[in-house]
Amino acid sequence: MSDLVIETSGLRKEFRSHRGGLRVAVQDLDLAVPAGGGVHGFLGPNGSGKTTTIRMLLGLARPTAGTMRLFGEPVPDRLPHVIGRVGAVVESPKFSPNFTGLLNLRLLADAIGAPRSRVDAAIATVQLTGREKDRYKSYSLGMKQRLAIAATLLKDPDLLILDEPTNGLDPAGIREIRETIRGLGEAGVTVLLSSHILAEVQQVCTSATIIGNGRLLASGRVEDLLGSSTSHRVVVPDPPQAVAALMAAGLDATAEARAVRVETEDAARITQVLGEAGIWLSELTPLRPDLETFFLALTGSEQLGGQA
Amino acid sequence: MIRLVAVELRRYLHRRAVLLLLVACVAVPVLLGTVAVTETAPPSDAEIAFAQRQLEQDRAASDYSQIVADCVASPADFGLPGLTGAELEEQCRAQVEPQLEWYLDNRRLDLDDERRGSGAAVASFLAILLLLAGTTFTGHDWASRSVSNQLLFEPRRGRVWAAKAVVVTGAALVVGAIVMTTYFAGLGLVASSRDVLADGQLLDAFQMGWRSAGVAAVGALLGFSLTTLFRSTVATIGLLLGVAVAGSLLLAALGVEERWNPAINLAALVQDGTTYYSESACVEDPGMEGPLDEDGYYHEPCTEEVTFADASAYVGSFVLVAGVASLVSFRRRDVP
Repeated sequence: MSDLVIETSGLRKEFRSHRGGLRVAVQDLDLAVPAGGGVHGFLGPNGSGKTTTIRMLLGLARPTAGTMRLFGEPVPDRLPHVIGRVGAVVESPKFSPNFTGLLNLRLLADAIGAPRSRVDAAIATVQLTGREKDRYKSYSLGMKQRLAIAATLLKDPDLLILDEPTNGLDPAGIREIRETIRGLGEAGVTVLLSSHILAEVQQVCTSATIIGNGRLLASGRVEDLLGSSTSHRVVVPDPPQAVAALMAAGLDATAEARAVRVETEDAARITQVLGEAGIWLSELTPLRPDLETFFLALTGSEQLGGQA
Repeated sequence: MIRLVAVELRRYLHRRAVLLLLVACVAVPVLLGTVAVTETAPPSDAEIAFAQRQLEQDRAASDYSQIVADCVASPADFGLPGLTGAELEEQCRAQVEPQLEWYLDNRRLDLDDERRGSGAAVASFLAILLLLAGTTFTGHDWASRSVSNQLLFEPRRGRVWAAKAVVVTGAALVVGAIVMTTYFAGLGLVASSRDVLADGQLLDAFQMGWRSAGVAAVGALLGFSLTTLFRSTVATIGLLLGVAVAGSLLLAALGVEERWNPAINLAALVQDGTTYYSESACVEDPGMEGPLDEDGYYHEPCTEEVTFADASAYVGSFVLVAGVASLVSFRRRDVP
């Protein structure tokens, strides 16, 4: 039994253009998402190969080369044996527009023999109760997105693959989905969250993989990726006085508006120096690089849609 | 698999376009049947009385005695050789003087005629409507891209294809069989009530109806297969329309025998065999020297027969090729 829910090795996908050219969407991608719950971010610029990778994992597209495993089982060969444990939303929701939301879900549930009660529960979870008998085409984009998430819950999955699940949602909807995803992750479901809204990802993800131009750029725990803080921001009543005290103690400090920036990882040393100088700080904040900064630094030089 | 077929059947029956086509499958035969029954209705007493008045007026308006006398004098000139006496005079009067039936619409409800006429029309409509139902059913999956969602729940593509194919083919077969059987049963009931139903007519009509249902089912399967192959309803309808409109012209331009005309083969399936014009038959059997048939007539020259088996092989080949290509494509190609 593998301790990885998703594992790819040397995964590659090429598309032939109408003009006879070859476009490489994914190249030699080694992806590893650990089991045991939690939310794993799958990040990359538009066109970097995230959705193509997900579509290959789910059997919707055939890889040109490489191997893939879900729950340790090789896919697509053994996909039918594990698909019942995988819920997925790929790109935009795709339902029959003239069917009601309820009928769309019931047809999917019946295909896997899920009980009707699970359909009702899924509708309630995504707060579509009362609108489930409306035609899908009358739904707002946010409601369509929520119906797609409801569909993933029909299987009671161990792995959720969500490709831009908050597209089209209003701020309240985004927060609801974020809380739902966080809750699922904490409940033991492993969630692969593909998104380009990095602030959202940073709030819910425990680990992340970043790809660019179809290639792996970085992967690991979010904390490890971002590294430890190398500076601190200190709020004090008199910043120039604090800067003088810190400089006298050999620390690199600069005054900012109503605060001081100190270039050290050692927070205890800062409080000691300021205390001995009789300066009482009201706030001490470690300054960590955020995911967006890290992401842009990694992907800044990547060009989209590599040609081969 | 049964569960999947049940799901696809529900999906089929919930498609609005499919429902409209199924309603048309009932409405068109009802309309054509009503016309057939009405047009062959026996004359009413009022119509007979009116015709009688016209007959009497016309007989009174002209003197037919001289012509009747000529007929009696030269019966051969009137196509009555060998008759004499009272019988000859009676036949001459019947030929020359206006008769009551001349003033009445004599068309009777004949199930053999209806089988070749309105029955064939109903069969054609059913085949087209059920082909469109099969086409639009799967075309909608591709247009809405909901097929990818379906595959997230059942990734065995061969099964998904088979379940959909079973539903469109089975539904067409059942609807076709019910409609055609009901159509001919209704006409048979009316014919029986008018005492014009001959022995064996109804069974012949039922058999033609069931063959038509088979053709409709094959059409639905072909429509489904092509649409799954092209992933577009428009492409399928365009292709079939092109074959229907330009196919015969193209075969003629290329000098290909009518034997290979799709319409001839479909007619052979429905009618349990048919004939077609053949230049090679003219060469092999010139003039009227062919053998006499059981009614004492020469076989019509320049025609050859397409049997039910020939037509089955021809149509079956097309459907088999389209079906295999469709299934292979569905299993291997990326799904949007």
